[in-house]
Amino acid sequence: MQFTKKIIINMLLVTIFSLSFGTTFLFADEISEIREMTKEKVDHVISTLKDDSLSKAEKKEGILKTIDSLFDFSLMARLSLGKKHWTTLSTEGRAEFSELFVEKLKQSYLDKLDLYTDEEVVVDEAKLTKKNRVEVLTYLVSKDDKMEMTYKLYKTKKNVWMVYDVDVLGVSIVQTYRSQFSGILKKESLEELIERLRSSGELGS
Amino acid sequence: MPKNILASLTFFIILSISIMSLKGQVVFAQASTPETSNAVPLTESSVDDEGGFDDEFEDEFAVAEQEVFDPLGGYNRVMTGFNDGFYIFVLDPVARGYRWVLPDTARRGVKNFFHNLFFPLRFVNNVLQLKAKNAGEEFLRFSINSTIGILGFWDPAKDLFGLEAHEEDFGQTLGYYGVGGGFHVVLPFLGPSNLRDMFSLYPDMQMDPVNYVEKRPYNFPKQEGEYLGVSRPTLQALEMKLFKTVNNESLRIGQYENLKKDAIELYPFLRDVYEQNRAKLIRE
Repeated sequence: MQFTKKIIINMLLVTIFSLSFGTTFLFADEISEIREMTKEKVDHVISTLKDDSLSKAEKKEGILKTIDSLFDFSLMARLSLGKKHWTTLSTEGRAEFSELFVEKLKQSYLDKLDLYTDEEVVVDEAKLTKKNRVEVLTYLVSKDDKMEMTYKLYKTKKNVWMVYDVDVLGVSIVQTYRSQFSGILKKESLEELIERLRSSGELGS
Repeated sequence: MPKNILASLTFFIILSISIMSLKGQVVFAQASTPETSNAVPLTESSVDDEGGFDDEFEDEFAVAEQEVFDPLGGYNRVMTGFNDGFYIFVLDPVARGYRWVLPDTARRGVKNFFHNLFFPLRFVNNVLQLKAKNAGEEFLRFSINSTIGILGFWDPAKDLFGLEAHEEDFGQTLGYYGVGGGFHVVLPFLGPSNLRDMFSLYPDMQMDPVNYVEKRPYNFPKQEGEYLGVSRPTLQALEMKLFKTVNNESLRIGQYENLKKDAIELYPFLRDVYEQNRAKLIRE
């Protein structure tokens, strides 16, 4: 009796040990994969931007293809508007908002990188922040400046990791849009906001 | 019986250790062994790809919808418009002209020179925040750059020794000790600020060597007299500041315009960007 008890306890210990280490390794492994994936895609975007043999249209097409597989733009659109406002929109309204906003986001991301084509992108560490969230820290490095850019990824239902937000120098793109939208929607209707996005480029102050 | 207790005790200790190793694991991407592929997938996200909403994300960004206490909102809006106009119609064209005249290396040298002069500010605030290593590195940087870097025009501390600057100002020091930002204030020419950072400008200014130009009479032959009611030394300090500003702007032409593209309304946007960025700088 005493003997079997001992064996059972030993077996339990061994199982728990191997389980815990197994999962830790899995985390490290999966995170390094996410880091590599992000690095590969960002590098590809930068090299396309720098490639002078391509025309402007070709560049844009190549880059958009890459970032479409990295960014979850429709989630970003939902998050930027926020649950409260998103749920009041009709299906058509949602589609229209998403389309306009995603276009704006893409352009904004391209513009940001475009300013830094002579610079180098360093992909630093990747960290697990929650169980299904990973942050990849990157730097746009130039001769005398270092701009920090953090890609925040989550795991989708299809088991793919995608970016849902980017922090530039600690400023979250989604949060910035969201607080702007919520401010505007206190004074204006959603229709007016969508109208503003449509004629974007025009700024109030 | 005591044997039993001992066994279960070991069991629990090992259990908690393994749980801790699981939770507290700081995972650096490089350290990985592709040994275990037979493991359980990470918890699935509950995000619905087709338009549902995830409360986890909702919490993460809920901050964005909080009402901002902004008693100076009206004034701030006007001042933001003014600063924006000043930048676009005055500072930017001047900086572009300046960039056209002076080569890149020279402008970078001037930037390094002024940056080096601000060593006291960074050093003192690193010390005040008990960041001994950073303060030490700043000290080393100043010593190296002022000598080998010839008065700070070059930055061998970074290029040769890999020592990076550690920017800290008094506003960050106050923030480090838990002083909140207070409401937002947009300052003429200087741009976004808040109560805490505005009052920190004074101690910061005391650390700015440019303000001590007047105390070194051998620097400029003529020190007396007034110009438009402003004393000569003050004017010289102003000239130096202007020069520094134009020089630094010439090295980041296009960045402000680029940033502005994310704005739907300029003032709340810039306010948000400023506060988020300051919060991050203080966290570090």
